Amino acid sequence: MNGTRVGNRMIGTQAPVIIGWDNIGRVQGGPIKRFVFSWFQPVVLFSLIGFWYYAPNDIAVASTAFAIGIGFRVLMLALEWVSPRYESWTLTWKEFATDLFYVSLGYTILRMVDSYIGSDVIIDGILSQFNWDTFAWFTGLPLLLQAFLIVFIFDFVQYWMHRGMHVWHPLWLPHAVHHYITQFNINKGAVGNPVELFLIGLGIGGFFDFVPRAFLLAGALRLGVGIYMHTNVRFNTPLWWRYIFNTTEHHSVHHSQDFEASRSNYAGIFIFIDRMFGTCVDGEAEELGMEGGRRMSIREQMAYPFTEGWKSIKKYIGKPAPNVPAE
Amino acid sequence: MRFFDWIWHIRGTLALAPGMSGKEAFDRLDPLFDAQGTSYERNAETLTFTKKDQAAQDRMSIFDGGIMWVETGETQPVLRYALKSRALLACFLAPLVFLAFAQFAVAVNMLHDGGSNADRSSERSADVAEEEDEEQVVELHPIDKFLGAPEPKQPDDEEEDASDASGREGTEEEAEEEEDRKHSPTPAYVFAGIFAVIYLVGRLLEDRLIKRRFRRLLEEEPVAATAD
Repeated sequence: MNGTRVGNRMIGTQAPVIIGWDNIGRVQGGPIKRFVFSWFQPVVLFSLIGFWYYAPNDIAVASTAFAIGIGFRVLMLALEWVSPRYESWTLTWKEFATDLFYVSLGYTILRMVDSYIGSDVIIDGILSQFNWDTFAWFTGLPLLLQAFLIVFIFDFVQYWMHRGMHVWHPLWLPHAVHHYITQFNINKGAVGNPVELFLIGLGIGGFFDFVPRAFLLAGALRLGVGIYMHTNVRFNTPLWWRYIFNTTEHHSVHHSQDFEASRSNYAGIFIFIDRMFGTCVDGEAEELGMEGGRRMSIREQMAYPFTEGWKSIKKYIGKPAPNVPAE
Repeated sequence: MRFFDWIWHIRGTLALAPGMSGKEAFDRLDPLFDAQGTSYERNAETLTFTKKDQAAQDRMSIFDGGIMWVETGETQPVLRYALKSRALLACFLAPLVFLAFAQFAVAVNMLHDGGSNADRSSERSADVAEEEDEEQVVELHPIDKFLGAPEPKQPDDEEEDASDASGREGTEEEAEEEEDRKHSPTPAYVFAGIFAVIYLVGRLLEDRLIKRRFRRLLEEEPVAATAD
């Protein structure tokens, strides 16, 4: 495979990757379907923001956000049938059950563990240890700016965490499991080794104070943009959206079987962070995964970082000392 | 074993066209076994297969192994199959895992409750007093006021709400905080129920799907080899 030059890298030499927006598939079907799937993303995002901006205090609560989140996921499941991006990503019973297993871990045991060792707990510990107060600079800012900052601060930290996972072997081991997914579906974002799920939840937002409604608006932004990352739904996403936000297209490049392509598009929400640091590759890939698309079982996904880590340690320890020439 | 191995085994029988041999039937089913991670052996009347790391889109992805054989029926030959699926077994057991998580949450809550209730209540009242001192009135930014965003709840409103509801200032709030600290077993119970439903759907659906796939392949006219 020849690949395509993007900057000083050759993308797509190991697996096919479409570079740029010109050859990306469009929504198929009648005018109503094309209209709906062209406007769906911006309309939903602005509706969510509008809702959380103006909702009375009694409605603007976490339980409402939770219910909207669940409802939106169910809707996306339905849309995967109505407008699939690739037939080769069709959701099967086994894929659905496997993905849901990881979702349910996140809502149960991992949430419990996180309440003891999550970043909020760590930050609370640091603040009380040094008798620091949270930075209250932001509570006086406009709500939407506060919401943007909440998302941006988390995304910026996670950009570097994610990039670190791809370039530093100890961090790659827990993250590699997530890269063994071979297709995108709504719940695929939850698939990964629990160690990684802990790492990608780390943030520094706890050091800052924001008003509660700003957190709800930030949640709306994360939901209205981030939900599409791992979905098998074809949208005619507007160009401005693709310039600012991460999309299924960008994230499919990141999950491509092509090694160089996978080292791109690290941001979770704001793809402009990748543009700032030169790691953005606009395009799309259908063939996802590792080792030529080998599907990993749940048992292997759970054990992989430890078994591979042990192999790496043994290899490192057993490595013969370099020959140093006598002086 | 036969009494409960239906949990992860799918068995079935399909009538073959009169005169169809085992070889011909397996030839027609061959495309199903021409898949990544699949190995199989066949002789005139029997086919056994195993699958490892089968692809998500493998049309037999839920099966890890199985056996198929052709028998002479009363009027026509029949194909019988017995397929096993670890995915079905795992899904059947998943509700138990989540019930265990729920019980674990309950146990941890009990452990916390039984710990140092007295210590924590004094600690909590100190915390609450401290928080009350620190709680500040939050003002909306002029832009948000202009755009008509609702005013945030102020500490005074919250206190009033609490005293209105309970008649005793702060009691309800403290109870809510205590609830927040606890690990709720509800999500684990919900997921246990969801996995029970998913198992039932999968057990019925995959049984029908595989039978339909076998039937279609067996009934299809074989593609004639074309000479170039």
